[in-house]
Amino acid sequence: MKTLLKKVFKRWEVFLLVFLVLEFVVFGAANPKFLRPNSIMNSIVNYISVCIISLFVTLVMITGGIDIQAPSIIGLTSIIIGVLWSDAGLNIWLAVVIAVAVAALCGALSGFFIAYCGVQPMVVTLGGSFLYSGLALLVSSMSATPAYQGISGFPAKTEAGQYVGFRFLGKGTILGIPTQIVIYAALILLCVWILHRTKYGERLYLIGVNQQAAEYSGINTRAVIMSTYVLSAVSAALAGMLLTANVNSAKYNLGSGYTLAIITAVVLGGTLNTGGKGSILGTVLASLIICILRYGLPLCFNVSTQNLDLPVGIILVLVVLGREIAGQNMLSRFFRRRRKQS
Amino acid sequence: MAANTNTQASVPRLQVRDIRKAFGQNVVLRGIDLSVSAGEVVALIGGNGAGKSTLMKIIMGIYSCDSGEILIDGAPARLGKPAAALAAGIYLVPQEPLLFPNMTVLENILMGFAGNEAELKKRVAQHMKELGVDLNLQRKANTLSIAEQQLVELLRGLMRDARILILDEPTSALTFGEVQALFRVMRDLKSKGISMIYITHRLNEVFEIATSVAIMRDGLITLEGPVESFTKEMLIQGLLPKDAQAQKQGEQAYEPVRYEALKPVLEVRSFSGYGFTDVSFDLYPGEILGIAGVVGAGRTELISTIFGRDKTLSGKVLLDGKDITGMSTKQILKEGINFVPEDRHAHGLFKIRSISSNTTSALLSGGEIGKVNMNRRRQREISKKYVDDFRTKIVSLEDLIGSLSGGNQQKVVIARSLSTKPKVVILDEPTRGIDAAARSDVYGIIRQLKEAGVAVLMVSSDIEEVVELADRAITVFQGRINGEFSRGEITQDVLTSASFGIAQERTV
Amino acid sequence: MSKVKGLFKARWASSLIFLILLFLITGIADPAFLNYSNIISCFNAATMYTLLAVGIAFVIMTGEIDVSIGSTLCITAAMTGLIAQQGGSVALMLVVCLATGATVGLVNGVGVAYFGVPSLIFTLGTNSVVRGLVYILTGGRTVENFGGAIASYGNKTLFAEITVYYAIAVALVAISHVVLTRTRKGKYFIAVGDNAGGARLVGISVLGTKILAYVLCGLFAGLGGFVFASKYGQVMTVAGTGYEMTAIAACVLGGISLSGGLGNMIGAAIGAVIMSSISRLLVFIGLPSTYDNTITGVMLIVIVVVDALAQHRSVEMSRRKRLLSRTAENAPEGGGKA
Repeated sequence: MKTLLKKVFKRWEVFLLVFLVLEFVVFGAANPKFLRPNSIMNSIVNYISVCIISLFVTLVMITGGIDIQAPSIIGLTSIIIGVLWSDAGLNIWLAVVIAVAVAALCGALSGFFIAYCGVQPMVVTLGGSFLYSGLALLVSSMSATPAYQGISGFPAKTEAGQYVGFRFLGKGTILGIPTQIVIYAALILLCVWILHRTKYGERLYLIGVNQQAAEYSGINTRAVIMSTYVLSAVSAALAGMLLTANVNSAKYNLGSGYTLAIITAVVLGGTLNTGGKGSILGTVLASLIICILRYGLPLCFNVSTQNLDLPVGIILVLVVLGREIAGQNMLSRFFRRRRKQS
Repeated sequence: MAANTNTQASVPRLQVRDIRKAFGQNVVLRGIDLSVSAGEVVALIGGNGAGKSTLMKIIMGIYSCDSGEILIDGAPARLGKPAAALAAGIYLVPQEPLLFPNMTVLENILMGFAGNEAELKKRVAQHMKELGVDLNLQRKANTLSIAEQQLVELLRGLMRDARILILDEPTSALTFGEVQALFRVMRDLKSKGISMIYITHRLNEVFEIATSVAIMRDGLITLEGPVESFTKEMLIQGLLPKDAQAQKQGEQAYEPVRYEALKPVLEVRSFSGYGFTDVSFDLYPGEILGIAGVVGAGRTELISTIFGRDKTLSGKVLLDGKDITGMSTKQILKEGINFVPEDRHAHGLFKIRSISSNTTSALLSGGEIGKVNMNRRRQREISKKYVDDFRTKIVSLEDLIGSLSGGNQQKVVIARSLSTKPKVVILDEPTRGIDAAARSDVYGIIRQLKEAGVAVLMVSSDIEEVVELADRAITVFQGRINGEFSRGEITQDVLTSASFGIAQERTV
Repeated sequence: MSKVKGLFKARWASSLIFLILLFLITGIADPAFLNYSNIISCFNAATMYTLLAVGIAFVIMTGEIDVSIGSTLCITAAMTGLIAQQGGSVALMLVVCLATGATVGLVNGVGVAYFGVPSLIFTLGTNSVVRGLVYILTGGRTVENFGGAIASYGNKTLFAEITVYYAIAVALVAISHVVLTRTRKGKYFIAVGDNAGGARLVGISVLGTKILAYVLCGLFAGLGGFVFASKYGQVMTVAGTGYEMTAIAACVLGGISLSGGLGNMIGAAIGAVIMSSISRLLVFIGLPSTYDNTITGVMLIVIVVVDALAQHRSVEMSRRKRLLSRTAENAPEGGGKA
């Protein structure tokens, strides 16, 4: 029983990879247009916020926490950048730095309540999602631009149609690859390093498995837990910056509705929501699986873009059920029980 | 019920036959036969890990057995779930009471009952009067002491008209007076024809309360019969593994510690905290100082406060002359104290992490296994060294520690406590829940530590353990040190009496 | 006397006091607020959240969570609308809503309690699935222009300006409260959340109780969907998004612990009123509605943090008191009890 469980978990990333490859095969066979690299990369760019934030929410969930406030921080950073640049007339990069710092503070605040006051992460970040999206709206009301319109006209596009400066982050390319994907790749490497190579990463796992035992090992568990919320808030700020640069619009409600998508990516990636187990690779693969699904289904099978929740939901349900059944040998238990009763 | 007892006097009320149970690879019960008649109190004794609690949980329907059968009043019973066991009149008072912390005492007792609350309340009051206990029924369960929680559990059982009452080590957390009160209740129940299975590891209690006795060891019942036919020595023989005598003979000669040449490494001065008051003692390098006492005497609180896990109220702790009072656990680890916690699962193990992760978790603060990056090779080297030294049985260092047996898990936790090269190692119940072979390995490790000049502070409820290992012993009674004994003075009788607060002439 | 004291100690009572304070503060800012209609309309407006909060409270009390109620509300609302378009009867709508809600709840309950999938994850999945079904059901279009009896019920008052729907919701809250506190099986919900092991030991079926909690939650969400359709007369495909979070927040405000085993239905109902009133009250205080989320967020965080600190303190205090009393038993000269 146990060995089976172990095997399944050991192979989780392999399973995800096979699934991803299958997606390419099926979609590619159904419609060759699917395989155009530019379109594929574009689909990732469209989903970049979820991809990036889920990396860092993985860190949070490995400590046994959860973060549902990150999407509200996307909007908050976006609107702060917009207002500071357009209404306060600050340099765009200075505006970005301030916005990221504010996001870090937001993360630290929630992290403090979770780690030092012992409030459940779900509740605090639920409150945080209200608070930070509310603050975003307040910030946007300070702008001369109406909130629903969004602040636009970010620098800069040259006469030749080249994106430079801030907008390079959103629309530019490096060696033909969208800047956003390059940044995503860099962040993946960063997270792999943090989680799987550093002592900090080891602490995250230990805290997630058994916080008390980590305390007895001399780990300052509270500081570490708090830091993960800062990291995920900062990642949300980065996502907010990239999204703003991409759509050329700073809006307070950018990213709203990503909450469940982010958690889905992390969980599908194999991270235990009780903490202590999970990997960056798993989260990346899961994000890509969802991303490709959202891109491929409308293109190849004429599924309406509105109606993508259903397949994603079905996959999530089947996968977690399957994992649980395989893990607990549930089926054989079920049949044994039936036999006894008869 | 009385009629029932009379008509079926010859048939045991509860009978278990050839019960077997394994958790994965770990075989816990190897074929248990046991029977209890009306008005009988069967004392079930056995070391930790003998399988007593598992057997009781099977009878209660919490676990299912792999094979074997349970008969009630001679008829095979299906106890697939607790509700069925309850209906059959079985009630288990678990070792750690499982109350609803946010509910009142009354709600706890009446949970699962239908009917007129006033009437039920009257019955509860009736039972309380019979038991001679006085509990405020409106108190929240999370404010009760362990003894009070056990009373609530007992009342629950009585309210259900339980005919078979299982008490799983009820006295382990009780004071002397509370134990006597419990025994009074049990005698009363016995006279009413209620059958009881009484799990304990205190042999004296067996002769005080039980009518018959069964000894369990390694998943088997090794000795069984009416209590009159045994002496205490016979029971001890039954508890020991067959080769224990031989082992004892082969024990190396004891080397006395030469205290006059030593300066204490740890000095505890008028130390008070939550659960203990005005504690003073010295600990010398190269000695094993045993701390004996009953559970709840304040020993665990004392040592975990020294380790920075709780607030100090007054007094001082000096390590090599340096004041470490009130430091955080992280700092204290760095100063050179390490700790093997009593509750391995709650405070020791990272169950779903590898053996090497578990071994080196206390090294994350220093530079030993890397500054920023993990030095995995070094981590493995260190873990390998301890696995070899301690003869820990593993397949691979990358295996999850949860897959090891209790004894091997404990070896890894001890390895962790040594990995920081501490001057002082505090061991809280170092052999709890591990089998005999692992126990002698752990004793070997502790002796090695002593030879290496490490100061060992060992809390143990197993008095034989203190007798065997300690160079000196102190006893803690109700939060205070009430006795200090040198190697020559340490005997089981002396320590036991002092643990229960009974003065002895020889006490210092 | 002790009953009065107990009342004030009760967690829902502090939420009620908080709600009254909110009303008073608003009244101070604008005395025009303090009249019967305004206050009653705060309650009337909370109908949907009240239903959702009470439903999810069953689940939360057992120590689980359900984030699928937003889409359950949406799909049942859409079904109601579609039936109305076809001229179906109200009874049919109710049956369909309740059956659908119960089905989603059953699936959630089985997934969580029987298969042991963590509840957040499983209900996240069903949330997406149900939302997807909404698109299939409606073809991605807003269900609107349905008339008939149902549309006219929306704001019908029963007496004294209380809407029929709110009166029904209050009745359901009362029934749930009585069931939960007075009946044998009703107490199981809290017992399972408080200590699942202990519950099993006294013969409670943890599995059955949890499944039942999810089914009840689904039923309430289904009813919420019916009310939604009736009140707004149109159902967009994104209707109900985020309602689950509001319902959870309402429970938390009402003193229900997310770790289970603590709280009651009256608290959840009051929490729902607080959540839905904030934006209304802001208007009277003279702040723009842009402050809505900020204030909700601050309120939620302050309340849960204060509550957590107070809880930890009381647990820690009682632990310390217990430990101190142990040592106090024997003064040095007393020599102990033995």
